[in-house]
Amino acid sequence: MSDQNGFEPRIVAYLCNWCTYTGADLAGTSRLQYPPNIRIIRTMCSGAVDPVYALKPLLDGVDGIIIGGCHPGDCHYQTGNYKTRRRFVALQEILKASGFEDERIWLRWISASEGQKFADTINEFVTSLKELGPNPMRQALAV
Amino acid sequence: MIGLIPVENSEPLGAVRSLLRQLLQSGLVEALFVPLEMESGAITPALVTDPDHLARANPLAPAMPINSARAVSALTGKHSPARLGVVLRPCELRALVELVKLQQASLEEVTLISLDCPGTYEWAEYKTLQHANGTNLTGYLTKGEAYNGHGLRQACQMCSQPVPAGADIHLQFFGADLVTGIPVELDAGLAELLEIAVNTDAAGADRQAVLDPLLAQRAQTRQHDLKAMGEHIASNGGLPGVFETCIRCYNCMTVCPICYCKNCLFSTAAFNHAPEHYLNAARRKGAMRMPGDILLFHLTRMNHMGLSCVSCGMCTSACPADIPIGLVFSMVGEQVQAAFDYQPGKDVHEPLPLVTFETNEWVEIGEVR
Repeated sequence: MSDQNGFEPRIVAYLCNWCTYTGADLAGTSRLQYPPNIRIIRTMCSGAVDPVYALKPLLDGVDGIIIGGCHPGDCHYQTGNYKTRRRFVALQEILKASGFEDERIWLRWISASEGQKFADTINEFVTSLKELGPNPMRQALAV
Repeated sequence: MIGLIPVENSEPLGAVRSLLRQLLQSGLVEALFVPLEMESGAITPALVTDPDHLARANPLAPAMPINSARAVSALTGKHSPARLGVVLRPCELRALVELVKLQQASLEEVTLISLDCPGTYEWAEYKTLQHANGTNLTGYLTKGEAYNGHGLRQACQMCSQPVPAGADIHLQFFGADLVTGIPVELDAGLAELLEIAVNTDAAGADRQAVLDPLLAQRAQTRQHDLKAMGEHIASNGGLPGVFETCIRCYNCMTVCPICYCKNCLFSTAAFNHAPEHYLNAARRKGAMRMPGDILLFHLTRMNHMGLSCVSCGMCTSACPADIPIGLVFSMVGEQVQAAFDYQPGKDVHEPLPLVTFETNEWVEIGEVR
């Protein structure tokens, strides 16, 4: 695990109210430790996340963005997360084609009962971002 | 079925005007959307109800001031006002099909007329060409030869779909012998109404002889140009390098046939940042380019319309900063479209990739590997 001069990745997390946000809450009430690098924004459904919500922080220099939703088939609104999945595929393709680091944006299905999984996922993301390094967009002049 | 429209004096424009007049006078359509050539030489798209005005119709002029799908959307978006006929180039037709899927246009009571399109010129270049000698309309229409030795718009040079799909009346210029007439593909009912005789020999063997090398050349140019753009992006500091001269005038968005939002997100208060926003960024980076949010605009636009991009290149033509936007969006568009195995404009019944889904697709995404 490389820690470039104490680089602490900044992560923005869009978590769906019914599953992942509740899962995160469970991690908290269970006193599970996970890195404090994330800033959570609660959305009612992962399907409500417009790609611009991920692109803006990425271009502002945030190191990682994670979208959390219910497992496919379990969406509180029936089909929201199926659309999230397709939108995510499109977003990743566009980032790849445009030369951006698509590894900075993650999509994870984490349910309300998966507190441990939430903690583990954040741990994994922080580790991965520390290796990737700071987002070059943070210092880019002409963005 | 294939028919033949008779041509007098090897003058295809006259024959096309007669066809359009027949469409209007027969009552098949109550109004016709077609480019008109004004006295000044300007090519101006117009909705025509009086057949007399068709005397200046000119859909053959190698110029494309707008992507007419936008205009047809204005004509049919809310409802169909009358039986319309619309004359569109292949890329305009594809854009219209996408707009129908986006519920911004309708094909009900619309007769689609399209033609083999050899390509168009930038507006300024076309104006020069008009006054030059040696413009070669027949060679241009039937063989895709340069109108006057000049280069087409880049989008046209790399256009791999110069033949329309899904038109009700398709003027098949490529390989045609304009002395005898213009081959036209249309159904029997239309042919009867327009008094066009069946003529199965009309679209002769010459059509493939012209089309095959043309398509091969276009495919090669397309592949080359897209690859070059990809390499340029990779070696010049990524996408930010391409948009260094962008001034966020929104011309590209305005002329794009697919961008239909009446109030784009980027025109709203969401992007009226507090002054501190800019100062903080400038302090963090040492310097910050203004007005900001330029890459965000383009990447968001790619996400919002990239799957429907038909590569018409209007964006490049409209950019005051000479940024090859159409090339970037075509390159990215092609990749994201391929991920969904989707071809914009091909089939009006094929749903947009982001509007539909399967329960069992991309099952590896989102789960811990």
